[in-house]
Amino acid sequence: MSRYRIDTTDLPFAREFLASPIGYHSPGLQRVLNLMRGAPSAGGSAEPFKYVLVIEERYSRWRLGRLPLRRGAPVELVADVVYTDLIEAERDLFRRRWKDLTGTDPAA
Amino acid sequence: MLPIVAYTDKLTVAPGETLAVMASSFGARQYRADLRRIIQGDTNPQGPGYKDHLIPLDLGGPRPAVAKGFHPGSCVIVPGQGMLADLRAFTLAVVMRPTLLDGRERTLIALPGFARIGIDATDRVFAETGGTRLTTNGAATVGTWRMVSLSCSPDGHLTLAVSVETDAGGRDLDPETVCADMAPLPCHASEILIAATRGDDGRPTGFFDGKIDRPALFATVVPHDLLRRLLADFTRLSRFAGLRAAWDFSLRMTTQAICDISPWRLDGHLRNAPARAMTGWLWQGQELDWKKRPDLYSAIHFHATDMHDAGWEVDFTLTLPHDLKSGVYAVRLVPDEDETAAYYCVFALRPPRGRTTGNTVAFLFPTCSYLAYANHRLGMDVPGTEIGMGRAVELDRHHMFLQANPGIGFSVYEVHDDGSGVFHTSRLRPIVDLQPKVKSFLGGHGSNIWQFNADTHILGWLDAIGQDCDVITDEDLHAEGMRLLQRYNVVITGTHPEYHTRAMIEALQGFTDRGGRLMYLGGNGFYWVVSFSDDTPGLMECRRSEAGIRPWEPGHGQFFHAFTGEYGGLWRRNGRPPNHLCGVGMSSQGFDISEPYVVSPAAADPRVSFIFEGVGQGARIGDFGLSGGGAAGLEVDRADPSQGTPAHALVLGSSTRHTDIYLMTPEDLLDPTPEWSGTQADIIRADLTFFETHGGGAVFSTGSIAWAGAMAWNGYDNEIAAITANVLRRFDNPAPFRVPQGTTD
Repeated sequence: MSRYRIDTTDLPFAREFLASPIGYHSPGLQRVLNLMRGAPSAGGSAEPFKYVLVIEERYSRWRLGRLPLRRGAPVELVADVVYTDLIEAERDLFRRRWKDLTGTDPAA
Repeated sequence: MLPIVAYTDKLTVAPGETLAVMASSFGARQYRADLRRIIQGDTNPQGPGYKDHLIPLDLGGPRPAVAKGFHPGSCVIVPGQGMLADLRAFTLAVVMRPTLLDGRERTLIALPGFARIGIDATDRVFAETGGTRLTTNGAATVGTWRMVSLSCSPDGHLTLAVSVETDAGGRDLDPETVCADMAPLPCHASEILIAATRGDDGRPTGFFDGKIDRPALFATVVPHDLLRRLLADFTRLSRFAGLRAAWDFSLRMTTQAICDISPWRLDGHLRNAPARAMTGWLWQGQELDWKKRPDLYSAIHFHATDMHDAGWEVDFTLTLPHDLKSGVYAVRLVPDEDETAAYYCVFALRPPRGRTTGNTVAFLFPTCSYLAYANHRLGMDVPGTEIGMGRAVELDRHHMFLQANPGIGFSVYEVHDDGSGVFHTSRLRPIVDLQPKVKSFLGGHGSNIWQFNADTHILGWLDAIGQDCDVITDEDLHAEGMRLLQRYNVVITGTHPEYHTRAMIEALQGFTDRGGRLMYLGGNGFYWVVSFSDDTPGLMECRRSEAGIRPWEPGHGQFFHAFTGEYGGLWRRNGRPPNHLCGVGMSSQGFDISEPYVVSPAAADPRVSFIFEGVGQGARIGDFGLSGGGAAGLEVDRADPSQGTPAHALVLGSSTRHTDIYLMTPEDLLDPTPEWSGTQADIIRADLTFFETHGGGAVFSTGSIAWAGAMAWNGYDNEIAAITANVLRRFDNPAPFRVPQGTTD
């Protein structure tokens, strides 16, 4: 469990991520990502889950899914969230996690 | 998800031999089958395109798809052999150490229909016989050894006794006892089960997660304190007149056989391959190698999640035509005429056993590594996987199937539900990630494919350049060694040949020592020790001892494999560092993006001029690819003389930076300090390496899983593919290589 907590001083890292989601990141952004990606989310669900991309068509179409931490538990598809671009999916996951962790929108 | 899944009885078969196909419906009503040669499995639109060939072999018409399901859970099954019917008085006993108590009733030992000892949903030990059930007040606890016995006198007086086995052996036993009286009943049980009982459907059920040591059955009442002395000394116990059976799990530990040390010889066998050679009740660290004190390794660790053989009935068989050329094939099952839901049972058609094909190039189909990763759940079970990926987790259809069907059994990357490592993986069950087209977690930004599907970048390239080759598997290499390799000038590896038996490593070393040429087109190869059981084909063992990037450790005192007695862990710690065989060894991993190699001055050495022939030699090579966008990445190896890289080896190029997701391996990170990451540490790199051997052979190593993804870039028309083709052309020329003068290693 990460002891790091995201606050408003991390907003520059949010902008950095949204500009370039995959590849080289500053140490500050990496720390934010380590927290987001390593920890389960709790937002809007009864049990802890991780956001995942459920493939509908390989390389072209993904659904947003909630993967419960419990082995064997069903993956819940989030209604009406479809991606046709992996980079856009990364950005959307980041925004959702940011909001789950801080209660605010990183782009606001 | 997957409406039909299946497996074949072998992953390697020779022309003229027969393959059996076992399928199960997970929604399909019927299916038809055909045979395909798999050429290139990556469906990334940026890639060279999916390619297979239909083989005109009639596999019959539509067949009904029958639901067969998965039945995990390990136990011992002992046929009664008529020796249970005369039990009037009896004592049943086990020493047990639970590793998971989660509100499910579990069985420790049972004579189904007659008597049973177990742990109930509230963690209390219970015993039942003749409709009477006794339950202790004290609860069993995870991690504590307890001796449990149920005795019944001839007049029906029952005693359930449970004592805690503390480390202070001199302390008197203070068992909790629960008693009752009942009318004696005849025993109609026909078998004994340990760690499970028999369910209403006839299958074992009520599995126990934990260790059991020295289970025994007596045809008399044995007081609990006497029982402790008897079970602690199996040598004397065998002469105790009241003994009916006592199972010494330390005998025949390399097999699935269970031995009774009583004169009655009520021997049994294991179901679903639990872990043997495990520290027992009396182990206190006296010895770390079970071969030296097997008596201390008299426990078996059972799991409700163990899976060895799905045991499905055969749907059909096919005999591979004699004139079919060696390659990678799949029996394709199309459910309900839905081609998009087709399931591929992939296997290798190896060359004939008794004669050569004339091919001088062999692709080593890394079935040990496929087995190690079989049905792996890294992106699903381990939240931190996404950190190492540097990208979101994608779940393909087979991942959704795995999530819905954990009973299919695990890879050696998982832990059981009790948190202990999975030591065994089996090919006698569907392996849903051993298919073309499937995406993975670790394949990098781009194609994001792994193991078999990533290896088809190499198979596709061989096809594209018109190179005939034989496909041989790890299992073939393990069984036949140099007798098989001597047919070839060149052996080409897959992208991630990580797991090897000693026989395989020694055969490959013998091959290069004797003039063979090895093209190691991957990363993190030749890393972990694995072993096969001669007794149990299809099952593979891996114990991740001491070092290496690993999801679990085997537990104190349990570092030696049960199948062979070998010390588990890294080949680097077992006298066979990968650097010695192929010049490079595992350095780091990261699954986001890959990098080019920066060409080094050594690339201008006349010894390697053949490698760069016709290739415009810029400062960097491989700044492209389907696996992370570069030729060097995902898992990368470096040359290191301290680990056995020959002194005359040439490092032709190296990646010179990676993202900070790439960190040092535990075996190199002796003193953790913050600079051991991809943007800072020079030794986090892939080294493109070449060297000659004294026997006239040579080795070319890419030290990178991503290399093949770069080969497949631009329809195989690029400098990485050209370099690889140059190497193959020269390596296939029998003219011997010469080690530079003055070289002593």
